[in-house]
Amino acid sequence: MKVKVVTNILEANDRIASENRKIFDDAGVFVINIMSAPGAGKTTLIEKTINELKGKVKIGVIEGDIAGTDDAIRIENTGVPVVQINTGGACHLDANMISEVINDLPLKDLDLVIIENVGNLVCPAEFKVGENMKVMLLSITEGDDKPLKYPLMFQESSALVLNKVDLIEHTNADIGKIKKDSMSLNPNLKIFEVSCKTGEGISEWTGWLQSLVR
Amino acid sequence: MLTKKRKRGCQKGKMHEVSIAHGLLDLAVDNCKKGGYKGIESIKVKIGKASGVMPDSLLFAFETLKIGTIAEKASLTIDEVPVSGFCNACNSYFTVEETYILSCPRCGSSMFKMETGRELNIEEMEVF
Repeated sequence: MKVKVVTNILEANDRIASENRKIFDDAGVFVINIMSAPGAGKTTLIEKTINELKGKVKIGVIEGDIAGTDDAIRIENTGVPVVQINTGGACHLDANMISEVINDLPLKDLDLVIIENVGNLVCPAEFKVGENMKVMLLSITEGDDKPLKYPLMFQESSALVLNKVDLIEHTNADIGKIKKDSMSLNPNLKIFEVSCKTGEGISEWTGWLQSLVR
Repeated sequence: MLTKKRKRGCQKGKMHEVSIAHGLLDLAVDNCKKGGYKGIESIKVKIGKASGVMPDSLLFAFETLKIGTIAEKASLTIDEVPVSGFCNACNSYFTVEETYILSCPRCGSSMFKMETGRELNIEEMEVF
């Protein structure tokens, strides 16, 4: 016999994401989920963010990688609490993975948790993990065609950080096109142009982040 | 610093559509058992073209994962939903070929809302 179901397939994930979110909210923690292609500069941006907000915002980090602890070690060296998730092959973090480590951070002592997702321009956009917002990082060296090639990432994010702007002369990338296409996909997208190497634009990014955390 | 490692060989989430197929199977089996039924003959799902899920890969993953479950003999039918929107500027519905909408294809306005294309739903099942 036929049974009508009509349920979202990601319901289980979304339910766990809501539970995660409640734990974060109860502890008064704001959570951002940073996504990008491998090598765009997520870990470096997090390091810069931690340094810029030292003494102003108490930060904890959840690192997501398929394997290895390199990124978590870098974050550990900044002095903030960090947990490393090794997905063992999964190409994105999901709510269940976050739920397994959520109580390993001293949430009551934190204002902001930064989740660094697995480097991937596709899958992370589809999974809520309990964050307040998704942030996308795109380095201009990846090319200016990425918004239209990977639209979901841009549509799901609240902010877009354009990194490596110091290298613009060495590429054919048109930053105006990146911004125009991104805004067409997501008119509410907040865009920051930064260079994690030179420090350009970092204070605008961290200033905005700080205003959200308060 | 704590490191949480997921077991090697854990298939869940190894390939993107595998984790979606896992979710689909878990939901279907759960609904079947809760209804007091013994097995599943077929499952119909709606996958939007902008959902990020590839129907062929999902079907492949489902066929592999269903073995040994009460959905073992179940066929999976995928209804692919196109991306469509409604334009508030020219008051018209429209459908696009792409997996995203940049502007209304009729009037070029950006004042539109996406109506369909992000679905990732089980619609119905045939059970026994």
